Amino acid sequence: MATVMKTTRDVKGVGLSIPRPDGPEKVTGQVQYVADIKARGLLHAKLLRSPHAHARILRIDTSKARALPGVRAVLTAADIPELKRKAPTRAHAVLAIDRVMFVGHPVAAVAADEPAIAEEALDLIEVEYEVLPAAVDPLQSMQPGAPPVAEAGTEADTSEAMAHGAVTVAKTEAKPTKAVNISQQSRLHRGDIAKGFAESDVIIEKTYRVPMVHQGYLEPHAVLAQWDTTGFLTLWASTQGSFNTRSEVADVLEISENRIKVIPVECGGGFGGKIRALCEPITAILARATGRPVRYVMTRREELEAGMPAPQVIIRLKTGVKRDGTLMALEAETILESGAFSGAVLAVSAVFLASMYKWPSFEVRGFEVLTHKPSIAAYRAPVAPQTIFAIDSHMEQIARALGLDPVEFRARHLMREGDPMANGQPWQSNGAAEVLRRIAEHPLWKNRAEWAAGSGKDGHGLRGTGLALGGWLGGLQPTGATVRLNPDGSVSVLTGQVDIAGTNIALAQIAASAYGVDIEHVRITTGDTDSAPVTGLSAGSKTIYTVGVAVMEAAKDARRQTFEVAAAELEASIHDLEIEDGKVFVRGLPDRVVTLAQIGKKGNLYMSKVQPVLGVARPAFSQQAPAFAAQLARIEVDPDTGELTLHAFVVVQDAGKAINPLGVEGQMQGGAVQSLGMALTEALNFDDNGKLTNPSLLDYRKLTAADLPNIETIIVEVPSPAGPFGARGVGEPPIIPAPAAIANAIEDATGARLTHLPLTPERIALELVAQGARAGISLRSGVTSGIV
Amino acid sequence: MAKQTLKCTINDDAVEVLVQPYTTLLDALREDLGLTGPKEGCGTGDCGACTVHLDGKPIASCLMLAMQVRGRAVRTIEGLGRADALHPLQDAFVRHGVPQCGFCSPGVLMAAAALLAENPHPTEPEIRYAIAGNLCRCTGYTKMLAAITEAAGATSAREGA
Repeated sequence: MATVMKTTRDVKGVGLSIPRPDGPEKVTGQVQYVADIKARGLLHAKLLRSPHAHARILRIDTSKARALPGVRAVLTAADIPELKRKAPTRAHAVLAIDRVMFVGHPVAAVAADEPAIAEEALDLIEVEYEVLPAAVDPLQSMQPGAPPVAEAGTEADTSEAMAHGAVTVAKTEAKPTKAVNISQQSRLHRGDIAKGFAESDVIIEKTYRVPMVHQGYLEPHAVLAQWDTTGFLTLWASTQGSFNTRSEVADVLEISENRIKVIPVECGGGFGGKIRALCEPITAILARATGRPVRYVMTRREELEAGMPAPQVIIRLKTGVKRDGTLMALEAETILESGAFSGAVLAVSAVFLASMYKWPSFEVRGFEVLTHKPSIAAYRAPVAPQTIFAIDSHMEQIARALGLDPVEFRARHLMREGDPMANGQPWQSNGAAEVLRRIAEHPLWKNRAEWAAGSGKDGHGLRGTGLALGGWLGGLQPTGATVRLNPDGSVSVLTGQVDIAGTNIALAQIAASAYGVDIEHVRITTGDTDSAPVTGLSAGSKTIYTVGVAVMEAAKDARRQTFEVAAAELEASIHDLEIEDGKVFVRGLPDRVVTLAQIGKKGNLYMSKVQPVLGVARPAFSQQAPAFAAQLARIEVDPDTGELTLHAFVVVQDAGKAINPLGVEGQMQGGAVQSLGMALTEALNFDDNGKLTNPSLLDYRKLTAADLPNIETIIVEVPSPAGPFGARGVGEPPIIPAPAAIANAIEDATGARLTHLPLTPERIALELVAQGARAGISLRSGVTSGIV
Repeated sequence: MAKQTLKCTINDDAVEVLVQPYTTLLDALREDLGLTGPKEGCGTGDCGACTVHLDGKPIASCLMLAMQVRGRAVRTIEGLGRADALHPLQDAFVRHGVPQCGFCSPGVLMAAAALLAENPHPTEPEIRYAIAGNLCRCTGYTKMLAAITEAAGATSAREGA
């Protein structure tokens, strides 16, 4: 599939850094997001949300709210016949029926003429609750006797894992018995770990914790819903997958999918948080109840309190190795806190813990645990950063304990193409070893001793360098695309793929190279669910890898059709034809020419017998393309305050083939900074009652330009066998390694090993104090001895 | 509550509009004046997506009431440049591939434009500080820094010409 089309000269397409064509619209503020759309008769929706993590609803009185002028609808669960007590997903839990399951759980919905009126109406709704004991801590929630979260008999939701197509674990591996709030289990094992640990010289056991974090997209969830008089629903949505949104809304509303059109409006960031339906069903229901268009835009507070964050991940990891570094045994337990609804990608953690390196014996158990908190969703490479934080931190500690070079140690044990992953599937070809080799060649790594030598001198803090390696297996999903030749010789590409990452320009470049025209002649459109071929999610690092193939095959199909028309026209064999500069000509006979415009025109002339050129492809996929990134951090830590300064950060990533290097760099830099946010500052902090204590962007601390150095990017190209032009997915790998890289750098600088994210100054300072106490010496001298 | 008459200058045009006394400047711009370039990312002044200029200084328009700008000059992203006549900052943002989702871009550009108006030759730390109130989740800020740095050169060159 990766063959490059033969042309007499290279067309302007694949491999060029071409700025996104929507740039001018974006920098002038002309791009329309959902909140920017004008609609006649528009109503504004607001939701009344539970102040309790777990409570029974005894009474709701909406009469005063209904009486407020300008209020057009006030709905509770009693007004919505489709609602089910056993809501299988968060999307189905449109409004609480008689029990709220997390702080922020919607209880009532209002549509009004103005947002301020809707807001006022919320204050007039009276709800009487009986507060119930809440399961807030996942470790307690998984114990027998914990307050149950789901309704009895609710099934686990594994559709997120399916959607990402990331990893599979045989269902038979799950244990049959489970505590009340354990919604999914997995177990992967190989060999005899008891024997492995018995024969080990060095055993290290640590527990790693990563809190819930928010995807942090700048545009909050937003949707606009309107029904026509025939009962046809149109949704203008900020979504990562318009067809998935359509399916979920159709399922909740119990109507046919062909009675819904989802128009994917410009998405102001998703990162996994806008895959699953959230506010779309209630907005559609309000629009149905009022007969008016209704828009719902979540507030930032609602996003943080009641969005769909990444799960809290707790990993207990124990490894045994021989003194010479031979790997012997790995035992791990992963707990994913999924909040009020099931939906975590449990298998990712299990597979990555035991599949990065060649453990001859391992046992990895995974548990998805429900709590009375907002339910979770994907966040860019779901659960991979948290898992790599554990396994890469551990590899670094083993290397240090044995006095081995940390890069050589990783490289020596890294699984290669064909090696069996923990789930038994063979590793596909990948660039893991290559990105590790390349980052070890970087001057910042080679000169790390010089950097450390300045530690504590001339007023400097403690200096260290750390690196980490992580990857993503790559998602798969069937998809479709069409490529048309227009009557003027220009080319139009149509997919249903939502462009959340600059993928449309890259897809257009693929079409240009595969068809044989320069990029200026190609326009790509993301169609709505009525017009576009069925297309998958913009998720799982799979847009270029899968939709890129669809576009490439559709462009080749269009090229073949173009040649068929030209061959008849030129009385030549299609095998002798070439496309160059908008013309088809016979090889070696540059005068026998027909232009693409002539061919396009013939396909659209009244009474013409020439078929129009319409290339179509609808591929499905079975072969993943793992993509790896290695990251390096040069840091300095103030030993008194624990303040960490990031002096330099490098990302080396295997893109397979960088279709648009400018866009790939943007992904690498943005992903790295999200990864650094998870490492350094971000956490959704809940109190003992399950209430979020930092529901604003002042207190939920994302990294700013002032916190960061420039992010250096190095693109490595190890071609994937099945990707278009050898490309691999690039979105997710860069969010994976930074927590481990920073923790490794902190140990390098201070000797302290931190295992709980985020690595805040407070945590670092406390660990340095504890380290000093363990050494029986004062903080200052303890720290100084730590860097020897 | 009765609406009040707001008279001010917006993007060099004299404007007269009826607004509620509790309407924020951001809502007045977006809902009453149709200028949806400024975005609401948080509504609490923490994200910078609503940044506009008030008498040339960058402010969070979500934290100011519309009536507070009576008699004053407001500039939004719509008044910085047009698609066919981009401001050097906008041009540099496009060429450097800065906008990804684009939601933060109008606010970042207004913050950067205010910086360059006051300090045509900023250092890297000065640029980083000037846009530290603008959160971006897509780019990691690196290409922004490159674009602003380049535009600073272009802007001063243009002024010097």
